[in-house]
Amino acid sequence: MDILRSVYQVAGFIVLISLGVAVLEGYFYYHFKYYARSWFFPAALTVFPLLALAGYYGVTWEHPLRVWAYFVAAEALVCAAFRNIVKGRNTLPYLLLAPAFVGLALLLVYPFMFEVYLSFHDLKLTTIMMWKNTGHIPFVGLRQYWNVFTTSPLSEVSFWALVGRTLVWTFSNVFFHVLGGFALALLLNNSIRFKGVYRTLLVIPWAMPQVVAVLAMRGEFHATNGFVNIVLGRIAAAFPFLAHLGVGPVQWLSDYPLLTCTIINVWLGIPFMMVVILGGLQSISSSYYDAADIDGASYFQKLRYITVPLIRPVLMPALTLGTVWTFNNINVIYLVTGQAGGTEQADILVSALYKAAFTYNRYSYSAAFAIVVFAMLFFISVFYLHGFDAAKDER
Amino acid sequence: MTEKEKRILKRRLKFLLIHVAIVVAAAVCVYPLLRIFSVSLRPGDKLFSTDLSIIPPNATFKAYSDLLKHTLFLRWMWNSLVITLATSVIGVSLASTAAYAFSRFRFPGKKAGLILLLSSQMIPAGMLILPLFLMIMKLRLMNTYLGMIIAYSVSSLPFSIWILKGYYDTIPRSLEEAALVDGTSQVGAFWRIILPLSTPALSIAFLFNFTTAWNEYLVARVVLFSSQQYTWTLGLFELQGQYITQWGMFAAGSMLVTIPVLAVFLYSSKWLISGLTLGSVKG
Repeated sequence: MDILRSVYQVAGFIVLISLGVAVLEGYFYYHFKYYARSWFFPAALTVFPLLALAGYYGVTWEHPLRVWAYFVAAEALVCAAFRNIVKGRNTLPYLLLAPAFVGLALLLVYPFMFEVYLSFHDLKLTTIMMWKNTGHIPFVGLRQYWNVFTTSPLSEVSFWALVGRTLVWTFSNVFFHVLGGFALALLLNNSIRFKGVYRTLLVIPWAMPQVVAVLAMRGEFHATNGFVNIVLGRIAAAFPFLAHLGVGPVQWLSDYPLLTCTIINVWLGIPFMMVVILGGLQSISSSYYDAADIDGASYFQKLRYITVPLIRPVLMPALTLGTVWTFNNINVIYLVTGQAGGTEQADILVSALYKAAFTYNRYSYSAAFAIVVFAMLFFISVFYLHGFDAAKDER
Repeated sequence: MTEKEKRILKRRLKFLLIHVAIVVAAAVCVYPLLRIFSVSLRPGDKLFSTDLSIIPPNATFKAYSDLLKHTLFLRWMWNSLVITLATSVIGVSLASTAAYAFSRFRFPGKKAGLILLLSSQMIPAGMLILPLFLMIMKLRLMNTYLGMIIAYSVSSLPFSIWILKGYYDTIPRSLEEAALVDGTSQVGAFWRIILPLSTPALSIAFLFNFTTAWNEYLVARVVLFSSQQYTWTLGLFELQGQYITQWGMFAAGSMLVTIPVLAVFLYSSKWLISGLTLGSVKG
């Protein structure tokens, strides 16, 4: 019974969304058609805000005058934009874009703005009920930003330590991803037997659901039952002189959590780079290598002067994506260390951000923190994209 | 030994080394999966053995039957499936029309729109979870499918638009022009010509939406709080969590979740990869 109800619920929701899209399209369509008529402006200013208010009431059961005023202002803005900027041209492309961009505006741009708003206020566990009931939160100006740089987002580790750790984490991960991916792609790019089988097996870490992969790998680093320690223990038992040198079971999760996360993430990330680089390698014409062979070039000379420059256009976007993904990777760190009593030794900026918001319930603080992290990520990406353009120009 | 034989021997040796290296790498890639499989087959009293064989002695499927009988695993799978399907349908349909506008028309704001899509990828994970969480709380959709669908629905939109735009760009315009001459509208041409021709790209976008929502963990952690409503990611984390005694059931659940995903991924990996490079190289 429960299952049937959930199906009805979701089907109803999809019908509702379709209706919403239809209303939206109608709304813009009439603006495109009649924006220049003299009667349109007053009519639009009465009808649409009232409709929107009815919708707002239907969703939240509140009907404050303030919201109606916002709707009127918004409608006036839309009408002005139609008169002065859009002028009824390009109807079709705008109508095609409308649903997606309204969705993005509501669920991406608005939350972003809301995050900025939160970062100048003080929303935390003690003020959230007040916010829920009255919609009011105390304004604190830049204090949250000051707190980001001076206090710990968690309970002990400082912001600057997190920055350093994030840079180390991102750099080492991307480095090993590219190194491993490049090596495997070079190996696979020979005309060998079972190539398809090998490729299939090698992408398995990427193809597995990340939650399963990370949790399974975490199990393998368990102190007594994990594969790694079992093997280390057997090696130490078999070769006593190695045990004297310090080889033996290690408390991975409690003593070296960041190293463990890095190993797991390198394992997860190599296949993607391998596939991208392999695609690049296969597009290089063999005539370059033939010419180099005639000139008597060594293997490493060919690698250095033909392969690397020619896969750069494929590698640079993948590198940008890989850097952003690694910088942003909460999954691995949270799933390995995020449980109750988990350590802070492995936290990077984004996982600290998530914990500050949802483990410590410091909402406004984490909003300011998020804005700082966004700015950092934005600069890194611009830096990379700049490098990408430079690589394009070289060709 | 002649010079020629030496060369052949050297070549054989080289290929042998390549094979050895790849087999070692493949073993590293596959072994953790095999270990989960092996743990899932272990009888209850041998869960913590340090045995490394893949099929354990006295292998049983008891963990699987326990999982299906004593936990809400099927319910979790069902929740995930409903949320994921709804999200993917909404995401792909919104992306397909938006990408068409970007691919075929010139209009003011086009570049700004594309830049918005690109820069949305730089928003740190976790940044939008908080405002979405507050919005969902305000809309009273906590712990519901709808809250999850709303939170997920636009997350893969920028990437889907990007992929679809890249694919539409490769379809020659003359096809639509011919249709327009024959008297269809532009929308008709999109519906009857472009969409059917883009089935591969649409399936990539669908697959991408599907896997993103299917594997999502962090938003679900925040929005859902009763185990009836959990998605499988939350359920598995719970099983593997503090109660280490459920290791066997965790392994069984992992296998049940992984096998279909793996099958779909490997089947479609060729398209997925071409879609990835299409999207990025066109940048």
